[in-house]
Amino acid sequence: MTMNRTLFALALLLPLGVQAESQAIGFVKNVAGEASVSSAGNVAKADVGTPIFTGSILKTGSGGSMGVTFRDETVMSFGPNTELTVDEYLYAPGQGKLKLGSKLSKGSMNYVSGVIAKLQPDAVSVKTPTGTIGVRGTNFLVKVEE
Amino acid sequence: MSMIRKALMVGFLGMLLTGCASKSYVVLLDNPDGSTGKIVVRGEKGEQLIDKSMHGAALDGSQQPAAIEESRIRQDFGAAMAARPQLPERFLLYFELGGATLTAESQALLAQIIRNAASRPAVDVSIIGHTDTSGNAEQNSALALKRAQSVAELMQQQGLKAHALIVESHGERNLLIQTPDETPEPRNRRVEISLR
Repeated sequence: MTMNRTLFALALLLPLGVQAESQAIGFVKNVAGEASVSSAGNVAKADVGTPIFTGSILKTGSGGSMGVTFRDETVMSFGPNTELTVDEYLYAPGQGKLKLGSKLSKGSMNYVSGVIAKLQPDAVSVKTPTGTIGVRGTNFLVKVEE
Repeated sequence: MSMIRKALMVGFLGMLLTGCASKSYVVLLDNPDGSTGKIVVRGEKGEQLIDKSMHGAALDGSQQPAAIEESRIRQDFGAAMAARPQLPERFLLYFELGGATLTAESQALLAQIIRNAASRPAVDVSIIGHTDTSGNAEQNSALALKRAQSVAELMQQQGLKAHALIVESHGERNLLIQTPDETPEPRNRRVEISLR
């Protein structure tokens, strides 16, 4: 409850559209088995409600899975032995600032794109070791085998 | 079967078999609303556009998109698909002309939104104000924020509990109905509630 109030107060106090760097860009919504979120070098076991920030690294272990939802309604879920880094996230349509760049180093993912892809499709991409996926507003699966 | 057709058939089967031999690949699915989008794969070996559901291509861009068998999708992606969170839900609220008073219909929707929010794990909520394109962009930003803030206060009074709550303005830059600048459009004067 305290956290809710603080976030709410912050959102009201901040100048229009200016987001604190520390603001969460998404949250973990479900976890099974071994999964973690590393933000600013701190590795934490993933739980329902764990925040995700720009730069966060999301990992699942063997047998693990995890689902996350971002502020712009992008939904990503991961199968076992997966590693995804959120490289860039900008969601300020009022300023025309939109970007969602992520990198899937290994594993499997189901990606359902959100508002950023709707407003500016060329701002959304998923890098992998062998190629980059451009997202034109859609639902897709991607697997990276090491 | 003519020789040519036979040759084509053999070629086609060959494509199916090798079409997605790559272990690193992407598959397009239908959107949750039933429509089909597009993805583009750019790799060292080329660029491919995928625009058919259940079709996939290697991530290095080397192969034309080809149909992927459902059994292979289940095997490779069953766990990732099963982990997909409940999809976000969105509500639109409208205002009486010239102020921050909700219409009766929108007012009546609040209780349902609050109930739905309570049923989601670690729900994070955005309350986003929008305007139409009439008037200048800065004033529209401020007006949209004011409307969003009034909705946020109302919902909190009525018992909204959120893991995180964001109140923001998209001004005139995220139109529901596309219009030129300086166009009054009641459907664009709205507050969106996103439950995630």
